[in-house]
Amino acid sequence: MGVMRIGHISIKVMDMAAAVKHYENVLGMKTTHKDAQGNVYLKCWDEWDKFSVILTPSDQAGLNHVAYKVEFDADLDALQKRVEDYGIETEMAPAETLPFVGRMLTFNLPSGHQMRLYAKKEYVGTDVGTMNPDPWPDDIRGAGAHWLDHCLLMCEMNPEQGINKVAENTQFMMEVLDFYLAEQVVVGPNQNIQAATWLFRSSTPHDIAFVAGPRMGLHHFAFFLDSWHDVLKAADIMAKNKVRIDVAPTRHGITRGETIYFFDPSGNRNETFAGLGYLAQPDRPVTTWGEEFLGRGIFYHTGELNAAFTEVYT
Amino acid sequence: MGTANQIDNVPASACSKHAIRLLQTGETYMCGSAETLLQGMARIGRKGIPAGCLNGGCGVCKVVIRSGSVTKTGAMSRAHVSEQEEAQGVVLACRVAPLGDIDLEVMGCMKKTVLNVQCGAVQTGEPSGISK
Repeated sequence: MGVMRIGHISIKVMDMAAAVKHYENVLGMKTTHKDAQGNVYLKCWDEWDKFSVILTPSDQAGLNHVAYKVEFDADLDALQKRVEDYGIETEMAPAETLPFVGRMLTFNLPSGHQMRLYAKKEYVGTDVGTMNPDPWPDDIRGAGAHWLDHCLLMCEMNPEQGINKVAENTQFMMEVLDFYLAEQVVVGPNQNIQAATWLFRSSTPHDIAFVAGPRMGLHHFAFFLDSWHDVLKAADIMAKNKVRIDVAPTRHGITRGETIYFFDPSGNRNETFAGLGYLAQPDRPVTTWGEEFLGRGIFYHTGELNAAFTEVYT
Repeated sequence: MGTANQIDNVPASACSKHAIRLLQTGETYMCGSAETLLQGMARIGRKGIPAGCLNGGCGVCKVVIRSGSVTKTGAMSRAHVSEQEEAQGVVLACRVAPLGDIDLEVMGCMKKTVLNVQCGAVQTGEPSGISK
């Protein structure tokens, strides 16, 4: 019971036609719905619920909200009480506030990002179905991303002013939503300030992550691929589509992921990454990275930080 | 004589070049009318010019046009360039292409790297440092 995985992410795009083309042709998602307000809903071929990405028309880029799916409807009431007892206001949005989605527990993380929890979303099935399925469908487009895997949120940190939203979010996710800590980056003279954390509920290295920055924002959201070969092919597809690549195919030290980072046509950062990394379990010991190893943690091969990767986000 | 290897008679690139001057340093670079100001600026060869998302969303490449005209090649996030700013010539360098010669000033985070001042937001170490 409780949170199972990331359910969807809702983002702002400045050119809807270009955005839809990007998520369909580069990532391989399919549009499953458009509503009267001009919002577009897409899903990946290996997901069974109606959508995992919502694109909303805007004059800006960035995050609207991120939603995680819980196992049972009753979990929403139990978690609402825990969130409110923690001191955070919540609202239970009624079913169909978002099309095809049941009621949603809505609140802001300590960092200010909006999070929603839901139990019900319309079931449509994966593209290979449930009966004697093929391992992949015939009409895969672009990178053929399997599913939306996680997001990374930038959280305000200012040690001189005593602000550390990374630590506050981490404590909230662990104490109230029962997330486990997979990895952390610690900084400061006593190596005890959490500057970045990766947390899970599933058995993958992270379902959500938080990194310190000057202001809150969306660093990236990520889609899952099978292997290094798929990562190279995805990079070729990005080049064919003149996609701005932020980080060319490489490996992370943190999570062991094989990865590419790139930008959608509004400047929202996407990731395609491959590999399980490791089996995340409630009793797995926490991995820690010291400040001077941050380069190696993010870019395992070169060990050097790319300024755009840490400073550019929406 | 016999035919040498076929060479297609199509121009590989076709665009007129304009002079773009960074007023704060006096430096000038050439930029084609088919490329954005940021693409041209990257060819100055200075390390640490933040090329961000290159799609108008992150705001790091903010400049102000002091003379000359540009045309927009795509949307710029209003979180980073308001309508008043845009009316005063503030644009994101990744989203405009020159129509003629341009004088511009670099603003914000980009200013701090083009003019070799440390951008204070996040600790990333020396731009060209090697961490082992």
